[in-house]
Amino acid sequence: MHIDVKKEIRQSGIGRAGVIILVLVVLIALLAPLISPYDPLQQSTDSLLAPSTSHWLGTNHVGQDIWSQLLYGAGTSLLVGFGVGIISLLLSIIFGVSAALIGGVYDQIVMRIVDAFIIVPMAIVAILVAAYIKPDIPVLILLLSAFSWQGGARVIRAQALSLKEMGHISASRVFGASGLYIARRHILPDLGPILLVEFIYGVRRAVFMEAGLAFLGIGDPMLVSWGVMMRDAMRFSYLDVWQWWLLPAGVMLSLTIVGLTFVSHAAETVLDPRLRGAEVA
Amino acid sequence: MLEIKDLHVNYGRAGILNGLNLKLERGETLAIVGESGAGKTTLGLSIMCLVEGRVSGSIQFQGKELLTLPKQEMQAIRWNRVAMVFQNVNNVLNPVHNILNQVAEPIIEHRLSSKNEAREKAGELLERFGLPRSRFSAYPHQLSGGEQQRVLLAMSLANDPELLILDEPMSSLDVTTREELGNLLQQMDGDCARLVITHDLDTASRLSQKLAVLYGGRIIESGPTREVLRYPRHPYTRALIRAYPNMTTVKDLQGIKGRMTRPVSGCAFHPRCTQAISICRDKVPQLIRDNERAVACHRGGIITLLSTVNLSKSFGSLKAVDSVNLNIASGETLALVGQSGSGKTTLAKIIMGLHTPTDGSIYLEGSKITNRGKEFYKRVQMIFQNPGESLSHRLTVLESVMEPLEIQGTGTKEQRRDKAIQTIGEVELPRTEDFLNTYPHHLSGGELQRVTIARALVMDPDLLIADEPTSFLDASTGAKILKLLLNLQEHRGLSILHITHDIATARKVSDRIAVMLDGRIIEEGPSNEIVASPKQAYTKRLLGSASALRPT
Repeated sequence: MHIDVKKEIRQSGIGRAGVIILVLVVLIALLAPLISPYDPLQQSTDSLLAPSTSHWLGTNHVGQDIWSQLLYGAGTSLLVGFGVGIISLLLSIIFGVSAALIGGVYDQIVMRIVDAFIIVPMAIVAILVAAYIKPDIPVLILLLSAFSWQGGARVIRAQALSLKEMGHISASRVFGASGLYIARRHILPDLGPILLVEFIYGVRRAVFMEAGLAFLGIGDPMLVSWGVMMRDAMRFSYLDVWQWWLLPAGVMLSLTIVGLTFVSHAAETVLDPRLRGAEVA
Repeated sequence: MLEIKDLHVNYGRAGILNGLNLKLERGETLAIVGESGAGKTTLGLSIMCLVEGRVSGSIQFQGKELLTLPKQEMQAIRWNRVAMVFQNVNNVLNPVHNILNQVAEPIIEHRLSSKNEAREKAGELLERFGLPRSRFSAYPHQLSGGEQQRVLLAMSLANDPELLILDEPMSSLDVTTREELGNLLQQMDGDCARLVITHDLDTASRLSQKLAVLYGGRIIESGPTREVLRYPRHPYTRALIRAYPNMTTVKDLQGIKGRMTRPVSGCAFHPRCTQAISICRDKVPQLIRDNERAVACHRGGIITLLSTVNLSKSFGSLKAVDSVNLNIASGETLALVGQSGSGKTTLAKIIMGLHTPTDGSIYLEGSKITNRGKEFYKRVQMIFQNPGESLSHRLTVLESVMEPLEIQGTGTKEQRRDKAIQTIGEVELPRTEDFLNTYPHHLSGGELQRVTIARALVMDPDLLIADEPTSFLDASTGAKILKLLLNLQEHRGLSILHITHDIATARKVSDRIAVMLDGRIIEEGPSNEIVASPKQAYTKRLLGSASALRPT
């Protein structure tokens, strides 16, 4: 019964690769203020320069250093990603576990709300809302969170429902335990791996959505973001700048998403033994 | 005919009898039972006015107050109208007279009838008690203990007494002689009232129609012998029956906790009683009469701890539990027997609040249970059927056993830990640091079961619902667990609802058995009656297929 997720992820090659990528991206995001040569927002008259020793990836149309923007972009991506990941996971847990434990009408109401959200394509609604309110980063995090907890809540509810019938939880109830105690002491620890997978899903979706919205020009155009970089670069696609402007941003974004996917894949393998390859057996 | 009121007898400072009340009618046989030291013999001697010690109160024999009677008048009554057979056979007979003369002597002395007539009568009596004429000239030392006892009985009846006091009349006899003498005494003609003083329930049940239980110098329960023995009301009477090896009851023997001590304030039994409350310590309970039965207990006798009224549970069209009425008394084991699917576990889960009943209600000590708070679960606990599943794989042995205390918020962390460790010791699990930190998947089935038992007991519940507590265990481990539960019952007065499919187990551990089939209780009664004379065909089938050693 003991599943050590950390160990399982370490042992799988894909999981290890994912973790390494993520660690690199996180390091870049954290160290960006130290290692970037310029302020990413500082404009200059040297616009659209090709890569050189002073500007490793050249400059953009308003003379900002692309290399510095690339490094700072990691921070934006991860901030939105992890912010949404955490908030939406919390919402998933609160609604999923409470629906499972309380049941009855409450469960019905929560699950119908979840259904309603899932039917509507999140991307379109997010785009519409974002276009209307032009969110900064905190609002963006809240907005994306509001649209991304439902799937997790459904999965967590299902799992909590089956956990709820287990002997040790019945036992806990007949000691007089409250629902809160049972959720905290027995259900959450047993949900562990699922929570990790749901969290990474949330992060990945949010990273992608943030870049997507920025690319579409919705949101704050002054934000240093890979999405904004790609959108700007596209406007100058007739020049050679795409090689050092568009491509690095696209690669960084893809790399981050790939890293997250690898980790969640490894974690899923842990949850579902059928996915286990021969190397584990 | 005989009425004793508020009789006190003191030897020095110790009160042997403390306000005893008793009534005996003509032709009635009353048995006084109690452990040695309860004051039984003192009672007999006081009626004979032979007691040494301070006596107060009143003993009226046919309207005459014996305690204040002048010596001579008393002598006319003693041996003549009130006779007693003493406990110790050896010292009573005069070694220099043959037995015929000894039996004739009281007749000669009191009635002044001729010696020959007296001898004639004595001979008849001796013959009636199974001594042949050839033995009449024998001297006491030539007789066996059984024969001496017969002589004493003959002697006591020599003057056709109206009241006969028999003090341990059978104690020195072997079982076959008992049987024979018992029959003789039963056949004795009707006018003579008899007071049988004994610690032996067999003697009491053989000879008496009425039974009074003596404890600490007071009568604590009385009633028709058959009913008192079948459904004792006082915890002491029940304990006495449980401790008595016999061919009728089927439950394993259980002792009574503690020892008889005196003097004791309040109810004399309260230090050993498992349902004692504060008033029991302070006040002496009065013998309260209820029809033919009477019991002296502040709690009205053994209390009903939990009862269900018309409890039902349907899953769709399936009636899993159908109008179940059950009562579980304090300190009692009720076995719920039935095949799997008969609704036993569902019933248990309804009681525990894990299922909501479709109909009916549950009462805990008379008050209806609506919302089960922590208070309820402190008193009622359950051992689940599958010990492996009912323990969290994330908690160590110690953490699991501490969990109920944590939920209840009992004491400090240290106290909880100490209590948990103590309980773990009580269920005979090792208390080493190593074991306490073991996770469930490293434990054997027996150990797991013990951990779940310790966890259920750590809050000192009053009622334990044990759902197939031995089904996962091999016989030797199972036996230890059952013994453990019986011991806990003896010491803590734990009530147990023992759920099992195995009537052979139920027979050994329960006071009463309820047989469940298709959600209904089809038969219920004292275990020995269910086992010996089942009424329902299904019960007979259960008994027929129960485990037995039957080599062919």
